[in-house]
Amino acid sequence: MPLFHFTNHDSYDEAITGFADYCREHELAVGLSHTQEALLAAQSGFANDLATLKYTLRALFCTCEEENPAFDKCFDVYWGKRKHEYAHKINNQSRSNVTKKANASLVMMGFNPNGKETEKEEEAKNITGSSRIESLKKTDFSKVAAIDSPLLDEVAEKLLRQLNHRLKRKLESTKKGKVDIRKTIRNNLSNGDALIELSRRNRKLEKYRLILLLDVSGSMDKYSFFLLKFIWSLKSNLKNIEAFVFSSKLIRITELLHQHQLDETLWQMSHQTDNWSSGTKIGECLQEFNQQYAKRILNGKSITIVLSDGLDNGDADLLGKELHKIKLRTSKLIWLNPLKGMQGYQPIAKGMQAALPEVDQFASAHNLESLLQLENMLAHV
Amino acid sequence: MIPDVAQLIERLNELGYIVEEELATVLLLALKLEKPLLLEGPPGVGKTEAAHILASHLDTELIRLQCYEGLDVNTAIYEWNYQKQLLSIKINEHADLSAREKEEQIFGEEYLLKRPLLQAITAIEKPPVLLIDEVDRADEEFEAFLLELLSAFQITIPEMGTIKAQHRPIVVLTSNRTRELSDALKRRCLYHWITYPNFDKEIRIVRKRFPEINEEIARQLVAFVEELRKMNLQKSPGIAETLDWIQSLLALQTDTFSAEYIEKTLGCVLKSDHDIHAVKNQGVEQILEEIKS
Repeated sequence: MPLFHFTNHDSYDEAITGFADYCREHELAVGLSHTQEALLAAQSGFANDLATLKYTLRALFCTCEEENPAFDKCFDVYWGKRKHEYAHKINNQSRSNVTKKANASLVMMGFNPNGKETEKEEEAKNITGSSRIESLKKTDFSKVAAIDSPLLDEVAEKLLRQLNHRLKRKLESTKKGKVDIRKTIRNNLSNGDALIELSRRNRKLEKYRLILLLDVSGSMDKYSFFLLKFIWSLKSNLKNIEAFVFSSKLIRITELLHQHQLDETLWQMSHQTDNWSSGTKIGECLQEFNQQYAKRILNGKSITIVLSDGLDNGDADLLGKELHKIKLRTSKLIWLNPLKGMQGYQPIAKGMQAALPEVDQFASAHNLESLLQLENMLAHV
Repeated sequence: MIPDVAQLIERLNELGYIVEEELATVLLLALKLEKPLLLEGPPGVGKTEAAHILASHLDTELIRLQCYEGLDVNTAIYEWNYQKQLLSIKINEHADLSAREKEEQIFGEEYLLKRPLLQAITAIEKPPVLLIDEVDRADEEFEAFLLELLSAFQITIPEMGTIKAQHRPIVVLTSNRTRELSDALKRRCLYHWITYPNFDKEIRIVRKRFPEINEEIARQLVAFVEELRKMNLQKSPGIAETLDWIQSLLALQTDTFSAEYIEKTLGCVLKSDHDIHAVKNQGVEQILEEIKS
C-alpha cells in the first residue's frame, strides 16, 4: 500500500503538494521551491518509507528547531493511518478553539486582536508568524497575563537579540581603514622605494556609551522587572553600558549585570538594594548621579536614557536642574515613560513637567514594540 | 528506512561515525538535491564532524572556512599577493614589456591567493565538501554574500572575470545559534537540528572510540554526563567532553569511577568555574548514587 493512501490523494505529487499547503495553513513558511524539491526527493526514492519521508520533509520545510513540533503534528495528521475523512475538519475545529482561547485572553488584557486598527498594523509588519506573537509585542507589560509571560520572554529575547546585533554595529564602527600613503612611505624607507608593507589608517572608533537610569519605585512595579530585563539584555551584548537603579537612593548596578544568568543578577540586586518598590525622589537621585558619576561617565559620546514614570514625591525644581546638568554633559537625553503608552496620557505630573523641557526625546516604554523603537532613536545621534 | 539510507549508515559506521537514521537521511538528501545543509545544535554534538565524515565518505577534499566576527571577503574568497606583485614589477622594470603586458602578468593566477570559498569553486577533479563553520559568528553582511554564492556558485574577480564552479561543492553550514540566521539563508538550506545523543548512542560512540574501556565504568560515566546536561549549567558538556573524560580515565589508569575521582577531574567536562561550583554544591556523591539506583 503506497504511503499516500491515507491522504485522500492519488499520487505522491498530489499528496506532497497538498501537504505543503497544509503546512502553510499551519504557519510554517514553506515556499514553492521547497515543494518542488520535495517532489524531486520523492521521485528519487525518499518517499518509499514513512520515517524517511518524514525526515526528508522536515529538513526541507523547517527552518528552526522550534518549528519541529508543529511540523511533526502536521505530518502525523496528514500522513497518519488514523486519518479519515473528517480528520482535517476536526483538526481545524480544535485549532480554532485554541485561537479563540488565545483571543479571549488578549481581550481580557484590554486588547482586541480582531480590532481593525491592529489588523492593519499586522499586515504591514509581518506576513507570516502567528498573530498572537504580534499582539504580544504590542501588549502593555503591566497587562501581560501569567500564561503569556513565558511566550513574551521568548519573543523578547529573540527581538532584543536582533536589536542588539544591529545596535552593536551602529555604536562601534569597525571599518578597515584606507591606505595611509604618508605612513606607508615612511615605514618602507628601508625597502628602497618599494612599498612592501601597507599602513592603513583606521577611522577613529566611535564608541558610544549608553547610560541607563531605571526607576524602581513602587509606581513602576509592573514595569521595572521587564525594563530591567531589557537593560540586562543590552548589557550582555554591548560593552559600553552603565546602569543605575533609583527610587529614594541611587545604586549603580553595572557590576551586577556581569552575571551570566538573569536570576542571579536579580538575586544579588535584591540583596544590595533595599529601596525596591519604595517612594521616589528623582531629583535627589539625579543629584547624586551628577555628583558621583557624571564627570567620569558622561561625555560627548554618551547617550543617557532615563526610564521612569515621572511620578515624584521629591523636589520637582531640583529634578529639572539636575536633568539640565546631565543634558549639558551628554550628547542625547532620552526619557522613556511607560505611562505614555496609555490612552489619553498627559505628562502633567510635576516631575514630568519639570523634566520635559530638558529632554531631547520623550517616548513610551510600555511594551516590546516601544522598546524596539530605541534603535531608531540611537541611529540619529 | 530505505536501503540507500541503511547503506549510508553502515558506511559511516565503518568510518567511525555513528549516525542516526534521521541525520543519515538528511545527508543523503543533501547529496541528491545538491542543496546546502545547515546543521544547528549545541556545541560539541558533532556538527563539524558530520562534514568531515561526509568528505571521507565521498573520498574528496574538505575545505573549511571558520567564521568569526569581522570576517571579510578578503579572507573568505581571495586576495592579491601584493608583495609578490610588487617584486614582479621591480624585476620587470627594465624588461621589454608594454604596460599592458606587465599588468596582465601581475594579475595572473599565480599572484592570486585563494581563500576557502574560491578554492571550493575552482576544485578541478571532483566536488569538494565546503564546511562553513559557525556561520552565526560572522557578520550579517557576510551572510548576504554567502546567499549569492550559494545560489549561483560563481565568484567575480574584477581583474579576471567571473569564475564559475566546475563542480558544485557540497556545502555544510554549522551554527551554534548565538544569533538567528537570516530567513533568506535558511530557506536556501536543508535544515537539521542535532541534539545531544541518547544514552545508547553515546555508549556506542564511546565504545567505538575507546574499545578498551571497561563497560561498567563507561555506562556510569555517560549516565553522569547525561545527568549534568539536565542541570541548568552555563555550558552543558557535549560528546567531545565525554570523550575527553574517558581519555583522562584511561590516561590515569583508574579502574573505579568514584566521587573522589570525579571531583578531581570535573574540569574535563565542565568548562566554567561557575558550573563546577554548582555541581559540587549539589554533591557529586549524591548524583552518583542517583545514577546507580
